[in-house]
Amino acid sequence: MAFWVLIIAILVVPILLFLIVAFSPALLSQGTQWFTLDAFKQALNSQLLVAFIDSTVVGIVTAALSAAIGFWLAWTVQRTDLPGRRALTGIVFALLLAPSYLIALGWERLLEPNGVLQVLGIDATWPREVMYGPVGIVIVLTVKGIPFAYLAISNTLRGLGREFEDAVRVHGGGRLASARMVFTLLAPGVWAALAIVFAESVSDFGVASTLANDSHFLVATYSLYMAVDSFPVQFPVAAAISWILLLLIVLALFAQSRALRGRSFRVLSGRSRPPAREHLGPVRATLMGLAFVVLALLTLGVPTFGAVSASLIDGLGSLAGSHQWDLSNYRRVLGSPDLGGPLVYSAWLAAVTATIATALATVCARMLAARGNTSAGRLLDFILLGAVALPGIVFAAGYIFAYNLPFWAALRIHLYGTTALLLFAYLATGLPSTTRVLVGTLSQVQNSMLEASRVHGRGAAKAWLTIVLPVIARPLLTAWLLTFAAILLELPVSQLLAPPGKQPISVGIETALGKYDFGGGTAMEVLAILFALAIVGAAFAAFRLLAPAGWRVIGRTR
Amino acid sequence: MPKLTRVAAVAAAVIAAGALAACSSSPASTTSHSGSTSKASASQPLNLYAAVGYDATVAKAFTAKTGIKVNVDDDSTGPLLTKITAEKNNPQWSLFWADGDTAFSSLDQQGLLASYQSSTVSYTSAGAALVPADHGYSPVATTAMAALIYNAAKVKAVPATYQDLLTAPYKGKVGMNDPAQSGPTFPFIAGVMNQLGGEQNGVKAGEDFFTKLKSNGLHVFPTNGDTLHALETGQIDYGMIQSSAAIGETIKVKPTANFDPKIVYLPKSTLLPSVIAIDKGAPAAVQKEAQQFVDYVLSPEGQAVMLTGDPSGDSLFWPIINGVTPLSQLPAFPSDFQTLDPKFWGPLEGQVNSWFDSNIK
Repeated sequence: MAFWVLIIAILVVPILLFLIVAFSPALLSQGTQWFTLDAFKQALNSQLLVAFIDSTVVGIVTAALSAAIGFWLAWTVQRTDLPGRRALTGIVFALLLAPSYLIALGWERLLEPNGVLQVLGIDATWPREVMYGPVGIVIVLTVKGIPFAYLAISNTLRGLGREFEDAVRVHGGGRLASARMVFTLLAPGVWAALAIVFAESVSDFGVASTLANDSHFLVATYSLYMAVDSFPVQFPVAAAISWILLLLIVLALFAQSRALRGRSFRVLSGRSRPPAREHLGPVRATLMGLAFVVLALLTLGVPTFGAVSASLIDGLGSLAGSHQWDLSNYRRVLGSPDLGGPLVYSAWLAAVTATIATALATVCARMLAARGNTSAGRLLDFILLGAVALPGIVFAAGYIFAYNLPFWAALRIHLYGTTALLLFAYLATGLPSTTRVLVGTLSQVQNSMLEASRVHGRGAAKAWLTIVLPVIARPLLTAWLLTFAAILLELPVSQLLAPPGKQPISVGIETALGKYDFGGGTAMEVLAILFALAIVGAAFAAFRLLAPAGWRVIGRTR
Repeated sequence: MPKLTRVAAVAAAVIAAGALAACSSSPASTTSHSGSTSKASASQPLNLYAAVGYDATVAKAFTAKTGIKVNVDDDSTGPLLTKITAEKNNPQWSLFWADGDTAFSSLDQQGLLASYQSSTVSYTSAGAALVPADHGYSPVATTAMAALIYNAAKVKAVPATYQDLLTAPYKGKVGMNDPAQSGPTFPFIAGVMNQLGGEQNGVKAGEDFFTKLKSNGLHVFPTNGDTLHALETGQIDYGMIQSSAAIGETIKVKPTANFDPKIVYLPKSTLLPSVIAIDKGAPAAVQKEAQQFVDYVLSPEGQAVMLTGDPSGDSLFWPIINGVTPLSQLPAFPSDFQTLDPKFWGPLEGQVNSWFDSNIK
C-alpha cells in the first residue's frame, strides 16, 4: 500500500494533472473552459502527424542500434579476454554523463561551414548534410542510448552462467546455436534496453532542435516544446501532444509483452557457474580493439572535442582569438560561487535520489519480472515507461500543478519550492531507467533459493539480505551509479522545481551558456563530469575492495 | 504482491518518506505566499525570478541595505515564464525581472501584475515612453534590438537601412536569431513589422521584408551566442543581435587582420527594456517589500550596482533614469529608435514566431 501511495504521489498524480489540462484548462487556471477539445484541434495537424512518424522511426532505429552496440560491448567486457576491456565500463559512464549539448557542439564545431575540418582542408559538405538531419539525430541519440542498453544487458548477461551454453554444446549444438540460446535467455534485458532507449528517444528535444534545426526534420516533441517553452505558454496544447506520446509507449509495451509472454528467464541461482572468457586471437583482438577505438572516438571523442574547443582553446576554428591553449576558463570557474556550492548541492541530491531510487527500483523490477505479468505489473510498467516518454519539462510542470495547489497550504503542507519536492521529482525521473536496468537481473533470480532459505527457518528480510542481495549486489551498484550520474546534471526538472535561492549545477551551467559564456559554462560542465567520473571510479574500487567475497563472485568470469 | 516484495516496498517507501521529510525543512519552505500558514514577521523573504545578468548582485546589495532577504531564481526568461504560468493558480514569486516588455504586458492583461508607480524615480524621456499607462510593470534600463554587428576586416559595405540588406553586397552574408529560441528576437521582428507596416497595416509588409531577406540568403541561428559564433567563424559577415551582446563582443575581442567586429544601428532600433514587476497575488507585506526593491533598482544607487553585476554582458545597458551614467564602453544611445506598444505586439508573438518558423527558418 505504502509503495503504491508513493508511486501515485510521485508519478501518477503529476502526470495525470498535466494530461487533464488538455481537456479542462480552467481546472488549473490555464484557460477559461472546464471541458474542451480545442487543444487537440490545435495540436493535431498534418505537421504533427509527420512529426510522430519521424519520432517513431527515429525511436525504433535508435533503440535497435543502441541495443546492438550495448550487447556487443557487454559481451566483449564480460565474455572475452580483449586487453583493456575494463576501460569500456568507464567509457560507458562517461557517455552517460556527456551532455547532449557537448555532443551536438562537438559535431557542429567539426562540421560547420569554416569549421575545424574545413580549416584543416577537409571538405565537410557531405558529412554536414548527413549529420544535420535524421541520420545525425539517430547517431547522437544512439550515443546517448548506449549506456542504458549496455547496463540493462550487461546486468542480465552477468547472471547467465555457463551451464546453458555447456548444455547446448554437449547436445551437439554449434557456436551459433549456443549464441542463439544465450540471446534468447537475455531477452528481458534486451527488451528492457529497447524499451528505455525508445522512450528516451521519443521524448528528446535537445538533440533534434540542434542538429535538425536547418533541415526541418520534425519530431513530436518539437511542437510540445514550442507550446511550453515560448510565450504565451500553452500547457493545454502540450498536454494534448503528451497524450499522443503516451500512445507510442502503449505500442512499445505491447511489442515487449508479445515478445516475452509466457516464458521464464530464471537462470540466476547460487549454483550459477562462472562462464569462461573467450580467447580472442591476435587478429580478432586487433580488429575488435580497432572497432572500439573508432566507437570511442565517435561517441566520446566528439563531445570531448566540443569541450576542448569551447573551454580550452581560445577561438578554435574561428577568425577571432589567439587559438592558444588557455586554462583561464577553468581558473575562473574554480573560484566562482556558481560552481562549488551548486555542485555539492546537486551531488548530495543525486546521491540521496540514487539511494532511494535503487531501493524502489528493486521492488519495481521484482514486480515487472514476476512470472505471468500481473495486472499490477503491467500498470506499473506503463506508468514507468510513460514517465520516460514525457519530456522533463512536462513532468516538472505537472509537479507544479500537483503540489502548488492552494489546498496544500490549507493543510499546512508546503512542498512546492522546497528541496523535498525537487527530490520527489528527481526520484520520479530516475526510477523508470533504474528499474529498467534492474529488471533483467531480477527476471533471472530463482525463487527456489529464497524458498529454500525460508524452509530452513530464515525470516523474509534476512533471507533476502543473505540470499538475493549478494547475487544482485553488482547490478544494484551500477543502477545506483546510473541514477547518480543522470540526476547530477539533470536540467528541466531542476529549472522549474529548484527552490529559489538554491541553484543546482545544471541550472548554473545553462545560465552561463545562455549568457554566451560558452568557455565558462563548458568548463563547469567538464569539471562536473570529471567529479562524477571520480565518484563512479571510487564506487567500483570500493566494491572491489570492501564488498564481501561472495558478492563479487556472481557475474565474475573465469 | 508477495510478502517479501510488500516488506521491501514498505521499507523503501518509509526510507523515501523519511529522507524527503528531512529535506522539506529547507529554508525555502518558509517562502510560500500562503500567508495564512506562514509565520508573519517584520521581513519576509522575497522570491525574485530573474533573467538579467546583474540580478544576484543587486539582490545582495538590496539585502545589505534593507535586511530583507531575497531568494533569487536566476534562469533564462523562457523557463521562468513557464514556471510563472504553471504557478498561476497559486503564484509563489514576488518579483519578476527580465528583458522585453511584451510578455509582461500579456501577464498584466491576465491580471497577474500589481500596479506600482515609484514615487522616487526620475525617468529620461526614452524611459518615460516605456512606462505602461496602468503601471503594471516598471522599465529599469534598456538595450536595443537589433544591433548590426559586422566584421570590418572582411567587408567594406556598411548598410544604412534595412532595405540595403536586400541588395547584392549582402547576399548570403547576413544572420539573425531564431525568435522561437531567442527571447529578444521577437521584439526585433515586431519592430521591423511596426516600422514597415505599423499597427494600422499589420504584419504583412514585415513578412514581405523577411521573405525577401531569406531570398537574399539570410541565415538563422538559435541565439545571440550562436549568431556571434557564426560571425567569428566567417559563416556570415553581418549579424543582427541584441546590443549588449554585440557590444560585449567588441569589448572581448581584440581586433586582428581577420576579425574586427564593429556595430551599426539601423533606423529604427527597437528599444528592448529590462522590466520588473510585482506579483499581484502576493500578501500585502511582501508587496510592500517588493516595492522597496523596485524603488531600489530604479534609484541611482541600485543602478550603480546593476552596472557592476555583469560588465561584459547585461550591464552594457543604456540607463533610462536621469543622472545615471552608462559604462564607458557603451556607444551613444541610438539616435533613431522606436518603442513598441506591447499591448498590440505582445499577443501577436505566437502567430509571428510560427510564421517565421514555417517560412523563414
